[in-house]
Amino acid sequence: MKKIFVILILLGTVVTTNAQFKSAMLQASGLTCAMCTKAINKSLEKLSFIQSINPDIKNSAFNIQFKQGASVNIDQLKKAVQDAGFSVARLKLTGNFINVAVKNDEHVQINGNTFHFLNVSNQTLDGKREITIVDKNFVNTKEFNKFSEATQMTCVKTGHAAACCSKDGIKDNARVYHVTI
Amino acid sequence: MNTFAAKYLIKIRFSFLVTGLVSCFLLFSISAPAQLAPGQKAPDIVLPDENGRIKKLSDLNGKVVLVDFWASWCGPCRRANPSLVLLYNKYKKSGFEIYSVSIDDEKKAWKNAIEQDKLSWSNVIETGGWEGRVATNWKVDIVPTSYLLDRSGKVIVVDPFGKQLERAVAKQLNVKE
Repeated sequence: MKKIFVILILLGTVVTTNAQFKSAMLQASGLTCAMCTKAINKSLEKLSFIQSINPDIKNSAFNIQFKQGASVNIDQLKKAVQDAGFSVARLKLTGNFINVAVKNDEHVQINGNTFHFLNVSNQTLDGKREITIVDKNFVNTKEFNKFSEATQMTCVKTGHAAACCSKDGIKDNARVYHVTI
Repeated sequence: MNTFAAKYLIKIRFSFLVTGLVSCFLLFSISAPAQLAPGQKAPDIVLPDENGRIKKLSDLNGKVVLVDFWASWCGPCRRANPSLVLLYNKYKKSGFEIYSVSIDDEKKAWKNAIEQDKLSWSNVIETGGWEGRVATNWKVDIVPTSYLLDRSGKVIVVDPFGKQLERAVAKQLNVKE
């Protein structure tokens, strides 16, 4: 049993270099103009994988550049925004993908993280592509409800793997990011 | 206890006192002073305008001045600009001035915004965003942040807007609204 576990972990690490997240477009919402407060900038700047943060007036969002080769922690991005007293209204990640096969309502390992693709056509991601996180607290409630209906799997409610996901070799209770293209 | 030991003890006590004082001092200097309050003299600002010419806030002493911190990407700032233009045109002859400090990182975006919003007063920029020296000195944590200064350069109101701003300007200039 232990051996199988070790092999699974090894397999997990082998397929991790199939994509690199370069940047993100982050919309934050709250009572005041999110870009107009220093709090979000300060909070995001503390994250070690962030290179720079620039306001983008057209999308009333932040353009975030990640450090090259750094592993991006998506939940920490959300936490930083929440710590500043705001919530995430949209988070779009741009990455360089290398032949990542994506199927609707299935799990894919990207850089050590598990992604569950919803409302997508089956395709292979290659080159510069964008994915949008549709987990709870990454989109508004209405949108979250729409996406959570797109799958029968329970992980969409919690963002964590349940029994349903184990067939894809995902550890119990591992973080599963639900995304769309 | 002999005298040597007593002296030594005093020395130790003294060094404790010094460390205590130093740490108190450090504590106070670390706890940053709060935002400028009414009654306080505004620190001078020396920054370049759209043409790269240096404009000093202190050059406007003798006038009633609104110091306005903003950025081209700040929606509420942009929406407030038309009413600032009206206010400026109405009171500039009586001695009212606006000194707008942008915290934009991109000079081009800033210049475009000045043109679009038709801002004809003193516009200066400090690239460096939130971490710029002036923005840090003035404790600007949110834009818009504004200060109305009297003719001597003292703060009268922090973040005045709309009717409250016009009333304060008219009162300082001693003219009718």
